[in-house]
Amino acid sequence: MSNKTTISDKLKTYLKHPGSFIVMLLVMLAAVITFAVLIFLIAYILINGLPHITPSLFSLEYSSENASVVPAFINTIVMTLLSLLIAVPFGIFSAIFLVEYAKRGNKFIEVIRLTTETLSGIPSIVYGLFGMLFFVNALDWGFSLLAGAFTIAIMILPLIMRTTEEALKAVPDSYREGSFGLGAGKLRTVFRIVLPSAIPGVLAGVILAIGRIVGETAALMYTSGTVAQIPDSVMGSGRTLALHMYVLSSEGLYMDQAYATAVILLVLVVGINALSSVIARKLTKA
Amino acid sequence: MKMKKFIAVLSVVSMMAVAATGCGGGAGEASAAGDSGSEWDAANAITVVSREEGSGTRGAFTELFGVVDEEDNDMTTLDAQVTNSTSVMMTTVSENEYAIGYISLGSLDESLVKAVKIDGAEATAENIENGSYTVSRPFNVAVSPNLDNAVAADFMAFIMSTEGQQVVADEGYIPVSEVEAYAGDAPEGSCVVGGSSSVSPLMEKLIEAYNTVNPNAKIELQTSDSTTGMTSTIEGSYDIGMASRELKEEESAELEGTVIATDGIAVIVNQNNPTDDLSADQVKSIYLGDVTTWDGI
Amino acid sequence: MKSKAWTEKFMQGVFFIAACASVLAVALICIFLFANGIPAMREIGFIKFITGEVWRPNSEQFGILPMIVGSLYVTAGAIIFGVPIGILTSVFMAMYCPKRIYKPLKAATELLAGIPSVIYGFFGLVVVVPLIREFGTMLYKARIVDNPGNGNSILTASMILGMMILPTIIGTTESAIRAVPSHYYEGSLALGATKERSIFRVIIPAAKSGVIAGIVLGIGRAIGETMAVIMIVGNQARLTGSLLDGIRTLTGNIVIEMGYATGLHREALIATGVVLFVFILIINFSVALLKRGADRE
Repeated sequence: MSNKTTISDKLKTYLKHPGSFIVMLLVMLAAVITFAVLIFLIAYILINGLPHITPSLFSLEYSSENASVVPAFINTIVMTLLSLLIAVPFGIFSAIFLVEYAKRGNKFIEVIRLTTETLSGIPSIVYGLFGMLFFVNALDWGFSLLAGAFTIAIMILPLIMRTTEEALKAVPDSYREGSFGLGAGKLRTVFRIVLPSAIPGVLAGVILAIGRIVGETAALMYTSGTVAQIPDSVMGSGRTLALHMYVLSSEGLYMDQAYATAVILLVLVVGINALSSVIARKLTKA
Repeated sequence: MKMKKFIAVLSVVSMMAVAATGCGGGAGEASAAGDSGSEWDAANAITVVSREEGSGTRGAFTELFGVVDEEDNDMTTLDAQVTNSTSVMMTTVSENEYAIGYISLGSLDESLVKAVKIDGAEATAENIENGSYTVSRPFNVAVSPNLDNAVAADFMAFIMSTEGQQVVADEGYIPVSEVEAYAGDAPEGSCVVGGSSSVSPLMEKLIEAYNTVNPNAKIELQTSDSTTGMTSTIEGSYDIGMASRELKEEESAELEGTVIATDGIAVIVNQNNPTDDLSADQVKSIYLGDVTTWDGI
Repeated sequence: MKSKAWTEKFMQGVFFIAACASVLAVALICIFLFANGIPAMREIGFIKFITGEVWRPNSEQFGILPMIVGSLYVTAGAIIFGVPIGILTSVFMAMYCPKRIYKPLKAATELLAGIPSVIYGFFGLVVVVPLIREFGTMLYKARIVDNPGNGNSILTASMILGMMILPTIIGTTESAIRAVPSHYYEGSLALGATKERSIFRVIIPAAKSGVIAGIVLGIGRAIGETMAVIMIVGNQARLTGSLLDGIRTLTGNIVIEMGYATGLHREALIATGVVLFVFILIINFSVALLKRGADRE
């Protein structure tokens, strides 16, 4: 099949098969709707937010005058790092167990799979309720970054597990056999041979997880609390950018700043996505 | 083959329908903006917007207007829209010409919505103070009776001082009368204040004012809600709790409540709505669902 | 040599424990939700709780049937809007999209996933709600419906949720389409089928399991979405037959009232969370069963 079919060839095919033509139109239409909605949405945020991005929005200290985003921004970073610190080792280790160690057809694996799928389906508001009942009240951590981070960590665990699993499975068996053949033990094979080749896949999962952490509101509202300052320790309470925006918008006093915060959030998400593609490219080249 | 074609046609038709609404999205917006000045039709149904069950604002509103049955149960019509956010309430009313809602006087933005007079009295701080506008509720703060946090105690003293109440008045709320000048000793330390999102904006200003007289204190503000504020104060995770309603019995058994300000509740309508004045009974019948159109009032 | 074997065993144990974490998490979530929710269900009466049509917490009436129906309505609506457009868009991305514009478009769909739901909510409130209100009034004037509604409706929520699940569906469906070996497609073309026929008769059926996985993920997101939905769906806790009327969802019920709830009311809200959780469990189990059935084939 040569790709150099001319437009007139295409037209002839479509004239012969009007059904195909209609289907093609539908596909185009759907794409146009999706991207029109997207552009509309982004334009909406930018138009409402850009004019309100002022220097005072970036003051180091939050006050009711400036509604600064800096503390929320730093809290977001801390929250992201903390929850990744908890979830990534657990996620990678359990994926290693599932792919490299567990025997096929083991009942226990099915249980793990089912629970992982259950975890990924639980609405964030239910996570919020659970986090409040367990971390905040039962463990008595109070509203704190730590309680929020643990709640979020459980939330992103299935995501990291699944992507790591896929990445590990994609590593050809010949790598493992070669490593065993050279006399390496299982552990060495996993950490020196299999895991490094699976890194891009794992990273993709981590980036997806970061996206989820950054945009999360409902689960954090009941766990990390809503203080607008940077807490002294992880046992203190602080709000992330998305939560900051929610609180700003809820009383109707800071709508402009809320939209400006939305623009900053958007930029953050674009930045994370760009970073991920850069990393992915570097890793695949290497 | 015929069956397949039929399915194809069917799916095409349904897709077109979806697309039509989708495209309507782009085209319709301009017309909606243009229509906002269109003539007012009083025969249209009233869109009743209410706060969520249990909210301090809703509790005070239903009680003051008598939107209750004989046993004081909230009887707001089930057809009323419910929101838990002041800004959603204001946006809804400013977008919908036939909507009515109520918000805290402190949050009222007259460039978006119009506050109506109740029984001829305008919703202003003066009218609440002189008693002609009666729709108001207290802002409470509560502390544990065995509070041993010096900063929290001193901050409480500041709120109830002339300086603190000046902030209250500046923010458009009604201050508590009979207060004395602040005479605290500016202790060092930190405390946590938390609770009602309605009280929170005022508390933020109070904390900032307090920090100018006592820079040694670090006060954390948690914005949640009245009940979380009270329960967390009982449990000890907050030193001072805020509530935009009266304390419930089980709460006042374990906490000492203080009224720090009075807040009016403004009844708001769309700016294109010609109604300027409503009687308390009219508001009541709208919220009970007895009257459903603007010309039925 | 001995120590090495010991390390191997030890690390295997570590991996095993890590794998148990997700089981432990689900168990903990179950225990804590059920322990806090079941007593309320028992007190209210399980049947009364699930099938009750009236939700007036202040008068001790806790029936969540309207919320269950509401969640089902908006989720079904989201599927009707989101799934066809999502699948067709992913076909476009995988098979039609010119290379030059692929990257920006792909980045854009990823961006769509990263927009916080509050933004979708305000977008819906300011842009979609007025449109649906106009649409409703138009239908009302044409005597197609009895009640024009006010824009905050099941239809609005369905549209916004449909938008919100697009990236999920596009992401999984596109990768499923790309995973189909290219000789399937080429073979079909060589047999004389048109491009469209090859895509919809050969590739999509081959990618079926991935497409279904995407739809299920989308359903999960739609049923669990909270912040955007509560702004646009009206939140009336009552049953309705019209798509232009508002309704309340399970998630909305929790977020809206959690703040102010105490005692039995609070427990009833946690019980609402339990019902939601059970819903998700049912969906997951039925999908797992479906998959097993498909694997056996």
